[in-house]
Amino acid sequence: MSDATPSGEWSRSAEEQRRYNLLSGLVFTTLGVILLVSSFMLQSPAPLAVRAAIIVFVAVCIAISFGLLPVLNPQDVFGSLGLILLGLTAFIASNELPGMRGFAFGPGTAPRLFATAMIVLALIVLVGGFLTPGPEVTKYQVRGMVFVIGAILAFAASIRPLGLVVATFASVIICAAAADDVKARETVLVAIGITIFCALLFPYGLNLPFQLWPRFW
Amino acid sequence: MYDLINHLWLGMSVAATPTYVMLCLVGALVGTLIGVLPGIGSLATIAMLLPITFGLPPVGALIMLAGIYYGAQYGGSTTSILVNIPGESSSVVTCLDGHEMAKNGRAGPALAIAAIGSFFAGCVATVLVAALGAPLTSVALMFGPAEYFSLMVLGLIFAVVLARGSVIKALAIVLMGLLLSMIGSDLETGAERMTWGIPEMSDGIGFVVVGMGVFGFGEILRNLENKGTREIVQGKITGLMPTLPDLKAAAGAIGRGTLLGSCLGILPGGGTIIASFAAYTLETRVSKHPERFGRGTIEGVAAPESANNAASQTAFIPLLTLGIPPNPVMALMVGAMTIHGIVPGPQVMTKQPELFWGMIASMWIGNLMLIIINLPLVGVWVRLLRVPYRHLFPMIVVFCCIGIYSVNNAPFDVSMTAIFGVVGYWMSKHDFEPAPMILGYVLGPLMEENLRRAMLIARGDATVFVTRPISAVLLAIAALLLILAVLPSIRGKRDEVFVGDD
Repeated sequence: MSDATPSGEWSRSAEEQRRYNLLSGLVFTTLGVILLVSSFMLQSPAPLAVRAAIIVFVAVCIAISFGLLPVLNPQDVFGSLGLILLGLTAFIASNELPGMRGFAFGPGTAPRLFATAMIVLALIVLVGGFLTPGPEVTKYQVRGMVFVIGAILAFAASIRPLGLVVATFASVIICAAAADDVKARETVLVAIGITIFCALLFPYGLNLPFQLWPRFW
Repeated sequence: MYDLINHLWLGMSVAATPTYVMLCLVGALVGTLIGVLPGIGSLATIAMLLPITFGLPPVGALIMLAGIYYGAQYGGSTTSILVNIPGESSSVVTCLDGHEMAKNGRAGPALAIAAIGSFFAGCVATVLVAALGAPLTSVALMFGPAEYFSLMVLGLIFAVVLARGSVIKALAIVLMGLLLSMIGSDLETGAERMTWGIPEMSDGIGFVVVGMGVFGFGEILRNLENKGTREIVQGKITGLMPTLPDLKAAAGAIGRGTLLGSCLGILPGGGTIIASFAAYTLETRVSKHPERFGRGTIEGVAAPESANNAASQTAFIPLLTLGIPPNPVMALMVGAMTIHGIVPGPQVMTKQPELFWGMIASMWIGNLMLIIINLPLVGVWVRLLRVPYRHLFPMIVVFCCIGIYSVNNAPFDVSMTAIFGVVGYWMSKHDFEPAPMILGYVLGPLMEENLRRAMLIARGDATVFVTRPISAVLLAIAALLLILAVLPSIRGKRDEVFVGDD
């Protein structure tokens, strides 16, 4: 899947890698602190073990941010931090759900079971990432992310109130801005073409219940 | 044997009606059309085209979906041969020799042999599906919850072992899929689980949303990273038909690929990718001229293409007999079936024989359609591939949005897909394979249900999974596979298989 082999320009200097560790570490620290705070706002208090785990998580993140732990394999370290954070979040989210009743599973049993197993595996990956060197995390294509995600969200926001025509046109224009080699006139032409195509195909060709124009029309 | 012919005849009489043949043709055509676009795998293609089957009767919809599925598979191969960008992961190996052939001016024979190999593999696999369907269904009836659970464990372990990279990371990512699938209402108590009080999430996050986000949008974000390095074969493609020596050279490869692919496809856990890799590796081993591989030899196209098609077809066996989707694409088929009120599993064959056998017969028709439409239309695909990516991806994004929106008419689903797109991108940045995650996501609810039921029946005794013979055997195989995958000597071999993937 990751067929794109990073070329020379992607690799970071030691200084940049330190900055990346600081930034990512702080992001995870913040998220961990938010989780910790929310664990105190639950109706029934979260178990002590969960809270302790979150505190340890935050401590590890802070240590990573300030270079106290050797991040030899950034891909594995930050990847497993993400999974651990997700697992801890699942514990907080399923806190109110009852667990085992005798030998019958409660609704909360399976989520906590899977979360625990995932955290254990992620810990193995994390420790491995501190001990053996590995590839760094290649740079995120921020421009692509902002515009593609923006286009999708714009579609979601506009399809109900504004209808298919406006939603399609707007999201094609926004999405096209994600490419580095975007050209304004071409993009407008393509957007018009796609919009006409969609407006004919989905409501008429396939008989799907799409509203074409804005509500006030 | 008589039964088999009888059943196939019943299927043919359903599938060969003009309406259904037309639907199959249209499905294969649009499937190829979308599948040809680089960076759109069969999963995203089917998800995108799902809405066009909504208005059809169940049998028609499934036949059309099957057509789309094969079309998407074949479209992926066309892209690999012409552009050297795999349309999807299962056609990665086709790039190696296929694109070399195209560069030598033999794109026509490469495309033709891919179609012929796929057709032959499809014919064999269709008979296999029909032949194995009935006996496996009777096996399925012996399965209790414990056996189902163990079988799904085996499937997930397969997915882990077949994934690239670290086994532990793949296992962790499977569990992430299982965990995410727990979101939504609990089946037994109806309790809202991890929904954060959002009403749209009480039904869980749709599989299409997760799959389209991680595979579709995640892939687009990844593609935006590599800047315009597509080398499309220039010039007119002439001489479509392979020569007689070509056919002779490819015949053995097609046979071996089909056999290997059929076996690997039945296994739960994403057989198509490994089938094409394994078939290619096998060919390099048995060939008298192994040095010709990678320089445009016809066996190097024929073997993986046949294997991949055979596997994608036999993947229907676990779905139709056990009701367990062996790979993400089949999981999407489950979703499509449920939309039409069909619950996949052993009962489909007995209760709705026309649907079951009609679908199997339509697989064969679908493969025939591919030969008919693809060879004359190669020129069209080439022209489509010349469209710059900066024009293609906004179109893909918008079609995906419309596709997701039309499943439930829910804007919330579209926003969730955006989130999963970022998740998919993040996963690829940290070298997590998306396929095991999706499989875990698909099997999660089924696994939980069977685990709970098995534990309840056994009165909380967890040893039930190892004391029931079938279940014990399945778990033993899973454990063995996992141990083998972690052993260093096998690891080396396993990495070797994936070596062509760079």
